[in-house]
This record gives sequence, structure tokens and C-alpha cells, in this order.
Amino acid sequence: MAMLSGVSLTNEKSYMVGKFARLALKTANLDYNGRLCMVSAGAGNKKAFGLDRSSNSWEDLKHAEVILIAGANVSETFPTLIHYIWEARDHGAKLIVVDPRVTPIARTADIFLPVRPGTDSALFGAMLKVLADNDWLDHEFIEKHTSGFEDTLDAVKDYTLEWAEEITGVPAHRILEAATLWGKAATSFLMHARGIEHHTKGVDNVLGCINLVLATGRIGKPYCGYGTITGQGNGQGGREHGHKCDQLPGNRDITNPEHRQYIAKVWGVEEKEIPGKGLSAFEIIDAIHRDEIKGLISICFNPLVSLPNSNYVRAALEKLEYFVAIDFFLSETAHHADIVMAGSLHEEEEGTVTTAEGRVVRIRAAVTPPGKARKDSDIIMELAKRLGAEDKFTYADSEAVFNELRVASKGGTADYYGITYKKIEDNMGIFWPCPTEDHPGTPRLWEDFQFKTPDGKAHFNPVPYRESAEVPDEQFPVRLTTGRVVSQYLSGTQTRRIGKLVDQSPYPQLEIHPELAAKYGITTGDLVRVHTRRPRLNSRLWLWKPFVPTPYSYPITGAEKWRLTSSPTVRSTPFPKFPNLKPPLVS
Amino acid sequence: MPDNTSGEPMEFFIDMQRCIGCNACEMACAECETNGQESMIHIHYVDRPFSVQTTVQVCMHCEEPACANVCPADAITLGADGIVHTAKTSHCIGCSNCVLACPFGVPKKSDTKELMMKCNMCYDRTSVGKKPMCATVCPSQALYFGTRTEIAEKRPNSIPVNHFGFGNENVKTKVNIMMPKGYSFLKVK
Amino acid sequence: MLKHLHSLNRKAAVNGLIATALTIALVFIGSRNLQNFDPALIGYLAGTVFAVFGVTYRYSVWIQRPATQLYWKRSLQFLFSKSFITYSLLGLKLVFQNLLIQKFIFKRGTTRWIGHMLFAMGCLLGFAITLPLTFGWIHFEFKPGDTMNYYAHFFGFEMGGFELGSLMAFMAFHGLVFAAIMVTAGVVMIIRRRLTDGGLIATQTFEFDWIPLFLLLGIALTGIGIAFDYTYLQGRTYQFMAIFHAMTVILFLLYLPYGKFFHIFQRLAQLGAILYRTEGQKRGMAICPHTKEPFASQLHIDDLKQVSRDMGFDFTLEDGSNYLDLSPEGKRSTLAKAHMKVREEGGGFFG
Repeated sequence: MAMLSGVSLTNEKSYMVGKFARLALKTANLDYNGRLCMVSAGAGNKKAFGLDRSSNSWEDLKHAEVILIAGANVSETFPTLIHYIWEARDHGAKLIVVDPRVTPIARTADIFLPVRPGTDSALFGAMLKVLADNDWLDHEFIEKHTSGFEDTLDAVKDYTLEWAEEITGVPAHRILEAATLWGKAATSFLMHARGIEHHTKGVDNVLGCINLVLATGRIGKPYCGYGTITGQGNGQGGREHGHKCDQLPGNRDITNPEHRQYIAKVWGVEEKEIPGKGLSAFEIIDAIHRDEIKGLISICFNPLVSLPNSNYVRAALEKLEYFVAIDFFLSETAHHADIVMAGSLHEEEEGTVTTAEGRVVRIRAAVTPPGKARKDSDIIMELAKRLGAEDKFTYADSEAVFNELRVASKGGTADYYGITYKKIEDNMGIFWPCPTEDHPGTPRLWEDFQFKTPDGKAHFNPVPYRESAEVPDEQFPVRLTTGRVVSQYLSGTQTRRIGKLVDQSPYPQLEIHPELAAKYGITTGDLVRVHTRRPRLNSRLWLWKPFVPTPYSYPITGAEKWRLTSSPTVRSTPFPKFPNLKPPLVS
Repeated sequence: MPDNTSGEPMEFFIDMQRCIGCNACEMACAECETNGQESMIHIHYVDRPFSVQTTVQVCMHCEEPACANVCPADAITLGADGIVHTAKTSHCIGCSNCVLACPFGVPKKSDTKELMMKCNMCYDRTSVGKKPMCATVCPSQALYFGTRTEIAEKRPNSIPVNHFGFGNENVKTKVNIMMPKGYSFLKVK
Repeated sequence: MLKHLHSLNRKAAVNGLIATALTIALVFIGSRNLQNFDPALIGYLAGTVFAVFGVTYRYSVWIQRPATQLYWKRSLQFLFSKSFITYSLLGLKLVFQNLLIQKFIFKRGTTRWIGHMLFAMGCLLGFAITLPLTFGWIHFEFKPGDTMNYYAHFFGFEMGGFELGSLMAFMAFHGLVFAAIMVTAGVVMIIRRRLTDGGLIATQTFEFDWIPLFLLLGIALTGIGIAFDYTYLQGRTYQFMAIFHAMTVILFLLYLPYGKFFHIFQRLAQLGAILYRTEGQKRGMAICPHTKEPFASQLHIDDLKQVSRDMGFDFTLEDGSNYLDLSPEGKRSTLAKAHMKVREEGGGFFG
């Protein structure tokens, strides 16, 4: 038996799902779709800071001198963040953008670094070397509050600008310009997203960014910050409260005996009743194929669209003896279910979510679930009842769930104990950690420089450059990378049903530089077939719409549009981002 | 309740270079009650094969509107408050003169409805002191609606311009475009 | 606002007088030198004659405007060309589609269409009955010795008869009641819309949007009132109903040339616009230099250059070409590029 969950659930529902899988389903195999999303960022943050949260409220962003954004097409994936960046620029901030494509924010950036896909860590390494060579370092901070600096510096000692230019394709002078801007600034903010995280070496890229922040000591101070831009509706809160295979509420570790003991007490069970670490989302699919898992419950997850290699996932779903899907619409995945339970949307249930800033905010039920659809929480409680665990799921309302979550998270790194519904409403949200009821919350982390690592210091991590898992060769000479469009959200279960949004991007599109297009004799609007190392893709005809040369003429980019069905990415975690694109055939 | 209580009149300020093409304005525009669920704002790539630049265009509300002057059916009127209203449904004959004559490319024409429709600055909202739908949702504030004092404070490097040149024709508008300081005129072509 | 406003338009006044004289002459002929004219309807006749003058005057002024004149001229030119048969058939189709069943209003909204159809057809029916009566063109009479059959005369010629108490008689005597009921129902539907639609509430004006509805409602209700009175009240309220009815009708006739109702006469231009588009497409499309796509007929663009010049707009560019050669999207993009260039000169795209 296994369960799959999703990060678009509210904090309350995420917490309930975690408890439900462990106590009602009694399975260890519970994992969530954040696995495809932000694990690299989370892992990097935990390694460096011992905590996985954006270090600052975005208010700090507005007054930073330099803003560096890496691998984030903010304009299409997080338009509301633009408001802060643009305001910062109005205040005089300089913007550096690292991206293989000229995204709308890259277009007007002060410095744009058009990096070759998969070479981000080389760029960050070279920038770190420039900082060190020019002594644009915060020695006091490095000495007192960090560890690992020498080794980290040692790893980049050969990363000259010329070397970086060759690897990344970014002109040396432009890298120098960016490093100088970053090095000389008094305040700065660095943000990144899936663009640098969705790689086999996503953690390297994340650590490369963090090294730049730590070397200049610009964290834990006003207008100085670092943060990863979250993906889903509750991208931050959804990864904190225990519906991951290795996690218990409050960002606790399911393998840690003390943590298990504490949660067992909160749940009123024996410690041994809580299962151990289970399989991750990909491993669950594998296990289904191996006949080790025969039953599955899925909520708020559309693996058929969002997991790579949809044919493999489809076969697994078909193989299941018993499959229950809880979803608000009949998603591609739900089509394969034995039983579909009509659940609720974000807008149909009370609760809280935690924003990309780490701010816990209330969301309201604006409408009630139509027809026979029920609230997700009602469905979970009803299922728990039928499974004989009714006494563990006796919540009167979402606030009751939240109050239990507060206790469960108490003492964990993501400590919500001091946050109450009333406090959230009175203060326009509260930033965790908030350990006591009289605590105001923590908009800016690390002001005390007490990091959550075992030694209390922030950790530099050496990032020697290594090549991507796949590099172009004669058979597959072109790099393919993926991207998103503003009109489609997540797997599109909601947005692909809205006519006006579908009109904006009716089908997946391939963007290709005109020089490359000319080489293959294709042009805008043509249908092309793309061959990659993923075998199943060969048989599939896709509608691609070639586009894009940019003013910067960066020649090797493609953006696969919204529907990631059979996406040319491999099955593994974290997965590489840029398998290759063979000469497309025009059909 | 009005969005502004300072007493200073609110105006529209546009800066297309801030636009990130998120299309939020387009969706919000369709919520304007004067358009009957249809989006009137224009947002599109300027030259997609060469740039991701997008532009966003609302009606500029000309002081001497070309659209109204070339209308054969007296369907377009200029209000005392400077708002150029969308075609009167009773009068419009759907000839498209306004669509083709507007130097800003604003009016839209529906063939099936035989009717021109265009942005009227959310008259249902602005006439009672509220901001237009598009400006309330624009995350980049490429579309900004507020007072001159506010815009001067928010955009220290820019200045509102409402005087445009199209060939020999000079056009003055109610809506402003933000330009670098020192400019008072935008020669379009 | 409009550059070409005329204080007195001599040509239009002449047209108006001719139309008025013609109407009066037809009244004399049709009523056999007023022999069949009903003096009780003299007020209505005066109102109608005024309306004829007003509408003709306004129409003449209207089609002298450069944009309108162009469509007028082109419509006639294309209609009486070698495609006469094709365009006549198209014209007939459009009369049915746009004037009779008003398909384009249906596309704008079902409620609007039903409401508008009800009062438009109600009015048409009403006028079809009342105008000939007012002009004395039609009158009914018994033949000597036969009090069972009623005979209708048109321009003094007998057109047929019907038996009293027959269905035909019922229809003939209650035509106006049906018309009034249709108008009332339509007006109520439209009033409801105007009271609930936020967009309409914001943009409607009393004189342009509400007066016409009140006039129609006034005419229809008093009309029904007259019938109700003689059927059930033995004429006790006849005086009131008749005077009020006459007042609203005459007000309606006076308002006809100026306010919203003038669109009834303007609507014909829609057919011209469609004809113009059809012929334009046949002759060849203009290609936008920016989008490289066809966007309008070249004829339309060329004509519009002239019309806008006549209206005082000169979009001629430095290189001699014209800004109007760009499609709307091309114009927006050109503006955005010009703006970007200025921003760039200012030291950065952002500001």
C-alpha cells in the first residue's frame, strides 16, 4: 500500500495526510509531488543552513542594492514577485539574471548572463573566485559564523574567467562585471528556482549560489537575503509537515528516535506504531512495477503528467490492483483510478498556507464544493473512520487541525507553535519559526547568526564543476531544456480547463534558435518530431512551434511548453534537466 | 469606497518596458462590467522571433480622437471628463474605420456582433473613484493608476508624457506613458 | 469635438422640405383631397410631418460627413456595378439577416435580442397600421345595406372586406393591441437589463437611453389603456387615455430625428459597410509591414487615409508613407519599439 500527496494542499491537509498514511493506512510509503520540485533546493539549504526556508521576507528585497536571479523565469512562473523586484529597481537596485533563455526579466536586466544549460555551477564558481581574488569578502563573518571556506575556495582556484567563458558560453567580461557588482555591493539578495535545481547536480548549483551569499556575509542583515522561489500553491508549508517519505511534522526526521518519540506522544500512539522511512514518489512507481505495491491512494498529485516518462507511469497505474484518486477534477491520473473521490479546491476549504517567504497566511473558503464533492479533509476523516482510526481524526474544523499541527511542530525546525489563526489575521501572516505565543515570528532569519547546523555555523560546500549526466554527442547533438508558460499552472489540471488560458498556449511548443531551425529547414508553426534518448518519445508526434532568437543570440535553447506528458526527462531523483534533442524531423 | 482619498485626481500611467507579459491584465479586463466579460486590453509580443518584449495597450483617450472623427455612425463619443467611450451599440455599424484609424491600435471589432468595442478605462469603476481592473492586478505596474504625486514618488527616474507624434500628426491623450526624465514628447514614427 | 459641425445645412434643409412637401402631397392624394382624412388625427399628422422633415434633415447632414459620405458613395458605386445581381442578392439577404431578424443583436446577447425584437417588431406593426390611417390612406366603411361586412379602402380604392365578428376582424381591430403588448414586454426586458447590468448602469444616460424606453412604454401602455377602456370601462377613462397617448406619440415623433431612435435610419449603413468589406476583400488586402499579415482591404486603408485627412488628421510619415498602413498590432508594436528606443537612450530599459 502506498500514498501520494501534493504540495498544493494546505498546511492542515498536508499534516492530515501524513498522519493518515502512517496511522490509518499504516504505510511507510507516502511521498509528495514536491519530490519533482524543490528537493535540490531543500537539500542545499539543509546542508548549508540546517534549515529549509527563504531567509528573508521579501520586504528586504525592495531595498537590496543588487539582486541576482538564477534559473527563474519569474515573469511567467511567479509574476507577483516582479512587484518587489521592480520596486527595488526603482530604488536603484541592479538586477543580474542567469538563464539560458532571454526571459522577460532578463530582457531588461542590468546584467544578463546567458548560461549554457547545465553549466551554472561553473559560473558561480568563477564568480566566487573573482570575489576572493579581489578580496570582496566578509572575513569577520566567514571566520566567526561559517565553516568550510578554505576547501570551497580551493575547489574554484582554477576557475578563471576564461575557463568559465568556455564552459558556460558567457563572455568573461560579463561574468567579471556581475561578480564585481555583487562583490562591491553593501546589500544583496539572491534567488533561484527550478532552472538551476532540476538537474542531477541541482544541489551543486544551489550550493554554488549559497557560497556567493556566505562569502560576502550578506545574510541575516537588513536588505541582505537569499531564498529559493517556491513552485506550488503551498510550496513552502507543504514540505514541512510530514507528508514526505522521510519526514514528520515540523520538518522532523522520521528516522530520528527523539523526533519519533515526540510525534508518537502528540498522536497518542506507541513510537513503534509510526512506520519508518518509506519509498519516494519515483520509487513507489518502480515498486508497483515490481509488484511490491498493489494499492495506491493519490491526492492532489497528477503523476501521469508531472512525472517524467508518462508511459512508464501509466503502465504502473494500470497494474495496480486498487487505485483511489482524490481530486477536484478528473485528471489524467484519476482516469486510471478504480474509485475517484471528488475533493475540494484551494478555494473550497479553510486553512493556512506558507508563502515563499516563510509567512504563514490564512486562506478562506470562498465557495463550497459543488454537487457531491466533499472537502478533502472530510474525505480523509471519513476514510480514517472506515479504516478504524476514527479516534485519531476528530477535528471539528481546520483550526483544530492547525492547533494539533502547532503542537506537533513545536521544537522542530519549522516551529509553528506560537502561530494561531488569530495572530495570523491580526498581523497579515506570521513568519515561522515562532516558538511561543508571545513570539512575533521571524521575518528575517539568522540575525543572531545561530545557524541550525549541528555546529551552529553556516556551511560552505566545495562545488567542483562536473559535467551534466548527459552531454551532446554526434547522435544527439542539441541540448533541450524545459520551461513553463504563464497561462498553465502545475500539471494544468485546473488551468487546462479554462478556455481563455488554453487560448494563450493551446499546445506544447518548441522554441528554437532560427540558426538551428534553418539547419533543419523548419520554421514557425511547423510540426516536428523530437528524438531524445528517452525511447518512448520516438513514436510520438508532437506539435512544436519553433521560435526564438534573442537579441543575445544564444543558440541552444528550447522551452517545452506546458504539457509535460512523456517529457524527455529521465526517471531518477533529482532528474537531469536537459536530455538532448536530435535533429527534429519535419512532418 | 474610492481607492484614493487625497483629493488629487487619479490618472493612468503606462510603461510598456516594465511589462513582463504575464497576461494578468487581460484576464482582469474581462471582469470589467462595461465590456460584458470580454477583454479589451491588448497584450502581445512586439516581435516574437527576435525578442520577448511584450507590450500592453489600453485606450489612451485622445483629446481629439481619430476613432470618433472617422466614425460614420456617430457611435463614439467623448465625455466631458475626457473619456472616449466605446461605440454605442445602437449606432455602431461595424465598419472598422475606428479600428484602422486609431494611432494606438486600440479598438477591436467583432464580426459576428457587427460591433466595435474598446477600453473605456473601466468606466464603471473610474467614474466612482476606483482604479481600473488591469491596473489593480498588474504585478509589474506597467499599468499604474494613481495620482501624479504618487507616480513621482514611485518612479524617481521617469516622467509622464501624454504627447505623441505619428508622422505629421500630434496626438494628446488623457493617459500618460512614462519616459525618461527630460522628455515631453514621444515621436513614434 | 467633431471638426465638421454645421450650424445650418442648406442642402439638408432643402431635402427636408422636399420630403415634407412630398409627404403632404401624398396625404392629399391618398386621402382623396382629405375626403378620407380623419380630423381627429390631425395632431398625429403634424407630428409625423415634423418627423419626416427632421429625419430627412438629420439624415442629409449625416451622410455629408466624410466618413459617411464615402460609405454612401461606395455602396452605390459597388451596388450599381457589374456585380449588380450578386450584390442585390447579398443586399436582400442582409436586409433579412440584419434588419429583419437582427442576427447581430442575437450575437450580442439573447435577452437583448428578444427584448429588442419584441419592441422593434411591435413598433413596425404599429406604424404599419397607424401611418396609413393618419395619412388618410386607409379607411374602412360599410356598404349601403350591409352592416355585416366592413370594407377597407387604400388610396380610395377598395382592397377587400371582412365580416364583423370574424377572426380577420378581430385581428384588424386588435393589431395595435398586439403591437403594444409586444412593445411593453420588450421594454420591460430591456429596462430590467438597464437596472441590473453594472456596465450599463455606469455608462447609460437619461436622455439617450431612458427617455426612448419611457416613450415606448408610455405609448404602449396608453394604447393598451384605450383598448381596455372601451372593452371594459365603457369609455370612462377615454379622454385621459387618448390625450396621454397622443402626447407620448407626438413626443416620440419629435424625438425621432435627434436621439437614440435615429439609429433606425442609420442601421441601413451597416449593409453598406458589409458590401464595402466584401468588395474590398475581392480587390485585395493590405499587408501590414510589421506583422506581414493581411488585416484590412487596401481599398479601406486608402479611403481611410483620405477620410482622416478630410477630418484634419495627417498621419503622413517623413518618408512619405502613411502610419495607417500599419495594422493595429503593428501600430502598438511600433509605439512599444519607439518607447523602448527612448528608454535605451535614457540609459537602460527600465525606469
